[in-house]
Amino acid sequence: MIRTPLRPLARILQARARGENPAAIERENLALRHERMRDQARDRAEGRLLMLGVMFFAAFLVVGVRMGSLAASDPSEPRAATPGAAIVAQRADITDRNGNILATNLATHALYAQPPNMIEPGRVARELAAIFPDLDEADLLKDFTGKRKFLWIKKKISPEQMQRVHDIGDPGLMFGPREMRLYPNGRLASHVLGGSGFGREGVSSAEVVGRAGVEKAFDGWLRDPANGGQPLRLSLDLTVQAAVEQVLAGGMRLLDARGAAAVLMDAQTGEVVSLVSLPDFDPNERPRPLTKGDPSESPLFNRAVQGVYELGSTFKTFTVAQALEEGIVTPATMIETKGPLVWGRHRIRDFHNYGPQLSVTDVLVKSSNIGTARIVQRIGAERQRDFLGRLGFLEATGLELVEAPSGKPLLPPKWTEISMMTISYGHGLSASPLHLAAAYATVANGGYRVTPTILAGQGRRGERVISEATSAAIRTMLRQVVSRGTATLADVPGYAVGGKTGTADKPKPTGGYYKDKVLATFVSVFPANAPRYVLVVSLDEPEDRTGPEHRRTAGWTAAPVAGEIIRRAAPLLGLRPEIETAGGFGVTLAAN
Amino acid sequence: MSYLEYTVKRVPTGLSKVLYVNWALVLLLCAVAAVGFLMLYSVAGGTLDRWAEPQIKRFALGMAAMFLVAFVPIWFWRNIAALAYAISVLLLLAVEFFGEVGMGAQRWIDLGFMRLQPSELMKITLVMMLAAYYDWLDINKVSRPLFVLMPVLLILTPTFLVLAQPDLGTALLLIAGGGIMMFLAGVHWLYFAVVIAMGAGLVSAVFLGRGTGWQLLRDYQYRRIDTFLDPESDPLGAGYHITQSKIALGSGGWSGRGFMQGTQSRLNFLPEKHTDFIFTTLAEEFGFLGGFSLLALYILIILFCVSSALKNKDRFSSLLTLGIAATFFLFFAVNMSMVMGLAPVVGVPLPLVSYGGSAMLVLMAAFGLVQSAHIHRPRGR
Repeated sequence: MIRTPLRPLARILQARARGENPAAIERENLALRHERMRDQARDRAEGRLLMLGVMFFAAFLVVGVRMGSLAASDPSEPRAATPGAAIVAQRADITDRNGNILATNLATHALYAQPPNMIEPGRVARELAAIFPDLDEADLLKDFTGKRKFLWIKKKISPEQMQRVHDIGDPGLMFGPREMRLYPNGRLASHVLGGSGFGREGVSSAEVVGRAGVEKAFDGWLRDPANGGQPLRLSLDLTVQAAVEQVLAGGMRLLDARGAAAVLMDAQTGEVVSLVSLPDFDPNERPRPLTKGDPSESPLFNRAVQGVYELGSTFKTFTVAQALEEGIVTPATMIETKGPLVWGRHRIRDFHNYGPQLSVTDVLVKSSNIGTARIVQRIGAERQRDFLGRLGFLEATGLELVEAPSGKPLLPPKWTEISMMTISYGHGLSASPLHLAAAYATVANGGYRVTPTILAGQGRRGERVISEATSAAIRTMLRQVVSRGTATLADVPGYAVGGKTGTADKPKPTGGYYKDKVLATFVSVFPANAPRYVLVVSLDEPEDRTGPEHRRTAGWTAAPVAGEIIRRAAPLLGLRPEIETAGGFGVTLAAN
Repeated sequence: MSYLEYTVKRVPTGLSKVLYVNWALVLLLCAVAAVGFLMLYSVAGGTLDRWAEPQIKRFALGMAAMFLVAFVPIWFWRNIAALAYAISVLLLLAVEFFGEVGMGAQRWIDLGFMRLQPSELMKITLVMMLAAYYDWLDINKVSRPLFVLMPVLLILTPTFLVLAQPDLGTALLLIAGGGIMMFLAGVHWLYFAVVIAMGAGLVSAVFLGRGTGWQLLRDYQYRRIDTFLDPESDPLGAGYHITQSKIALGSGGWSGRGFMQGTQSRLNFLPEKHTDFIFTTLAEEFGFLGGFSLLALYILIILFCVSSALKNKDRFSSLLTLGIAATFFLFFAVNMSMVMGLAPVVGVPLPLVSYGGSAMLVLMAAFGLVQSAHIHRPRGR
């Protein structure tokens, strides 16, 4: 900035020469400079003001246009005429795959009192005690006449009770609207649904929060108003679930088992059609978790998802499948089964003596531990681990229940030769029945990896794990297990059931195994020629005491229960019974 | 340039001041207030005593306050600006500790004869303080960092106190009003650009981070923001007011249903019908024409203030007038946008129309300041 001097020398000298006061020149220049500065500031301020003015004008324009467009719009009628509607249906329903309601909401009321407004506390206490027999008149009277300004009397009351309380007619009694979660089918699918309870509670509404199962896993989604009241559709089928639960409960009672689990899964997509864990509970009255004892004995424990067990001989299928896939054996390859197989300090025995040799098919059909161990020796520990990993056995299942991450398989600390051999016939690695179902689906459906899901329409095939040919060979063998092997009691005429039994001695908490306590598991795939469904049935400590000797093996316990389930469920699933072509379907009968 | 450097030649004194009052502005204020009385009369179902009468009394009191303030020379107000600001901040602090809780937030102080809302007072005293500050400050130093920092602190102190009440609407108005003052005072535009860019960056970081590993807020906080920004996704909850007021505006149409004929507001669909949402009644009963007329009245008030400010060579006076006009603008722009669903619902009343004591009195006093600046403006040299 060029500053003009306030006292320009030339003019001062001239002024002095003229005898004028030079200070006047300075004052004049000062005034001029001030004026310039002021003008400058004004210019800038006016520029700023103009900008602001433009912005203000734009805001006016927006408001004006909006006003016009709203005035031109048709008023839509208010959607909620009743004040209660603001509270109902805040949480989305849960339905099965066909839209049948599994969980919904019920408008109800909570009863509370404001003692300062109460006219006749004595009469109110007496009449309330008459309506609700569980309330004590003396306690109520003490509350009503004490210092309290507010107290809850009942969290949920029925319409009849509400009317009777109304009829008392005291202004100190108030109702608060409540949205209550209702599971109309009671115990059905209790472990999947989980249950819910009240979170924060206020006078005019209370928050419903999921406590377990899908209610908790999808808590945020169910509460999100953005979903527009759309229900959460599960892959379960209500009628099939009911049939499976009924048969499994019957089988559990007949065989005097401590618990049972069943998983019925779509073999192609991994959608869980039925998931049962017994003993169960009623989600409407969800019990409190056990404070002492083994939590896995609680009815709240989901044996099918959270429980990890050694699943026994059902694992042999995976060993055989891998050997076939890698070209190490063919179904007809003869395997040495002379026992016992001694490996270091360990001895591997068979349930029966099967002679010196069996074909690979018969190793599976007759369930030879020795034969399976011999096969896995040709595979190697590293590759076995890798294969089981691709079947999903090295991590939790990822089912959309909050409990699923706790169903993490128990793996051997070191994958040694001997663990490799025991794992080949299902000992030394614990996994949940759900893991087993997903792995069998993968092996039987043509070889595509299956990830279990509880949501309808969410299932999809994953990458290929084994070839179509291997899968077909395994299906043939599984069918023979049922038609002439260890699981003949599971056969259901017309549905070509294939499967594999597994009887695992239960481990003692102190180490070692019980001699007389087993976990009997039967995995079935049906129809075996074109698998649609996989069913896992697992019974904890079953015992068939009808015969002369007590029988515990899966062929005598889990297999018949599974057969009965298939007999009941297959028609419900829309499968038609088919007459099998004579001689199975291209079975090589060489081993007979 | 302030009076310190002026030689005031002619300033009206005594009763002659009455001649120099900006009477057009007074008339406009009366017109807007009259619209408010009509609406309050209608909302109360055709009775005066519920809301309209107290409002009229308050307006009369406000008028008196306005003239009182107007006849006091503007330099007096400049000299006490800092004091007024300090008192307002102290009152805000007092509210924090001794205030009464009303409508879920701590905003009031009971003075016995009236309940004072210091946050309302703060809006005006902040403008006064900033105007006085920039009047004192050499115009060439306006953009130096230290001298920018001071007004920022002056703005943020009351803002945080108001946020603690909590009253988001007022806090935003304080920041916006203060920012406009700084802008008008000529603070370099880069400061504003940086602040706006940082704000935009923060907001976009919050939203872009959603669902990724760097999520800044919790999921439920995002959901709250969602319903805050788009209340219509929850028509029976957070969006209830908006839905109802849109219905009111739509059923008003071009020329409205006629005075006292509004159903939406009179049938109690709107809980805040006499305060923040009173505009819906106007729009329903007098339609687009009525609503737009009110908007026009507001625009005229602002234009009168701006023209008075432009004619005024005193820096304090013109900044103060513009600041009050901007605050007034923010009030009704935010309220109207909120009612029409253009902005989230934050509690901001419609100035001079909504039922409410503190807001009305403070606003009238603020227009008193505008009048005082108008009357005592330097004429000639």
